[in-house]
Amino acid sequence: MQVAQLTRNARRSLPFYFLLGAVIVIFLFPFYWGLITSLKFEVEIYDFSGNFLVPKNPSLANYMTLFRAPNYFIWFWNTLLVSAVTTAISVVISVMAGFAIARLRFRGAALAGTLVFITYLAPKNFLFVPLAQILKDWGLLGGLPALMLTYPTNLIPFCTWLLSGYFSNVPQEPEECAMVDGASRLGAIVRITLPMSLPGIITAAIFSFTASWNELLYSVAFVNGEQNKMLTNGVISAFTGGDSFAWGPLMAAATVSSLPVALLYLFFTDRFVSGITAGSTKG
Amino acid sequence: MQVTPRVQPRTSGAFISRLLHKDSSLGYILIGPAFLFLAVMMAYPFAYAMYLSFTDKQIGAPASFTGFENYAKLLGTSLFSKTVVNSLVYTTCALVLKCFGGLALAALLNRPFIGARIVKALLLLPWIMPTVFSTMIWSWIFHPTFSIVNDVLVNRLGLIAQPIPFLRDERWAMASLIFVNVWRGIPFFGITFLAAIQSVSTEVIEASKIDGASAWVSFWKITFPAILPVIIIVMLISTIGTLGDFDLPFLLTRGGPNDSTTLFALTAYTLSMSSGLIGLGAAVTMTMFPALILLVVISLISVRRQQQD
Repeated sequence: MQVAQLTRNARRSLPFYFLLGAVIVIFLFPFYWGLITSLKFEVEIYDFSGNFLVPKNPSLANYMTLFRAPNYFIWFWNTLLVSAVTTAISVVISVMAGFAIARLRFRGAALAGTLVFITYLAPKNFLFVPLAQILKDWGLLGGLPALMLTYPTNLIPFCTWLLSGYFSNVPQEPEECAMVDGASRLGAIVRITLPMSLPGIITAAIFSFTASWNELLYSVAFVNGEQNKMLTNGVISAFTGGDSFAWGPLMAAATVSSLPVALLYLFFTDRFVSGITAGSTKG
Repeated sequence: MQVTPRVQPRTSGAFISRLLHKDSSLGYILIGPAFLFLAVMMAYPFAYAMYLSFTDKQIGAPASFTGFENYAKLLGTSLFSKTVVNSLVYTTCALVLKCFGGLALAALLNRPFIGARIVKALLLLPWIMPTVFSTMIWSWIFHPTFSIVNDVLVNRLGLIAQPIPFLRDERWAMASLIFVNVWRGIPFFGITFLAAIQSVSTEVIEASKIDGASAWVSFWKITFPAILPVIIIVMLISTIGTLGDFDLPFLLTRGGPNDSTTLFALTAYTLSMSSGLIGLGAAVTMTMFPALILLVVISLISVRRQQQD
């Protein structure tokens, strides 16, 4: 009886699972195609005969080529460093501003909230022409500090917006209790409210980090020289040029370079989803 | 700023702790760094862009004021008119497809099923993965001679006789760009819409089903109006992002063939970075500004309205 019920249910949802499977395949196929291309030898990459969905002689040769690229690990380090510094700057400044907007009553708090939202809406690619000039005036054009200084511009509005939403949902009583017990205002905030808001702060940090990892225009426009490149523009310049794209190493680069973001995502899927459903990302 | 306390404190330590205690002073202190940062890195560059757009500034040369010459020059070039048309086509098509695709995805996922969490996590990957690297994979998929899609369509399935020139033909190039943007965007739209749908009270929907409404009717009559504010905000934010897109045209086509896929950011980049015409490049970004203001104002109004409900 129950088994019959189960099979009937399963048969009824068969079209659903079929459709779901098709949707998953369509959305994930590019990643699979990139991965198996990276595992094929040069000749096989351009040979679609037989079953092209499985590499005939899987090999890590493309990854070796990639890691032997003279500056790959420098680019990786640059990207890690810039993303970490950018995330630290953005999160610290945004925690302060987000807290003020959400929890403190001062003249102009509402206006500040609106301004943050407006700056959040401004597309990040809008101001790179004057920013390049300003960086040049300051003598920063060309090196990594140019990126550490400009990346937070687009992240602070978003993180502040996200965090002010978070702070306004964190209860205020524990902070007040701590102050009754003799803690200073700032001490109460740092020791009581910030730990309670850690999930929101982590969300902001993850988004800042992945956005920095993913950035392209500023890294193309603001840094010079092989030693200062990010992974994005470094990989592009190393393996593409005119019509002679080295697809094997390029796909290996796409796979490896996405790994840190993929790992972060794996560990913090729920943070990503809640951040996204807060309506908090651009695209 | 009103940070001066009424009673003069005896020591500077006491003064500082007072500043850090009162809402009014602490508020300004905490918001100060963000305000300063955005003033220097956003407001100042904006003013600077406006200034540059009125000059003949080139790389390595001093700027001199030329009035509206850059804007007049832009209006006379086909590069600029193509940029405007491309951006309109790209943004409109991508947004419509992302909206309907996202609704369809949300409708599909809006039921309990085995592995729901994993499926949702997997489907978000196109959105999460760094655009630069996923777009590299797409440019391999769209390869002029070794495209896997063409191989399947021409050789395996025999559906078409000639391979599709994905990035080599003007119309196909734009279509391919839109396709990749939509591929990235639908998961984000879908998951956001799904969260909105699942926050709609199920009682009303159940009641309408008892009254004989089909799932299709109850979706459009009850669920859709309820999630409309979320749809509008997601659409507006995405419109701004899509209009300012640089990565996709830069990586897939470099704006070609024949400027058929260049968008505002890439045109500004080509003019200012590749050709060194900084004044002209700044003018291109400034021409985006009126449309942006309009979008920002509409966004503000719709967010306000949602907060009031």
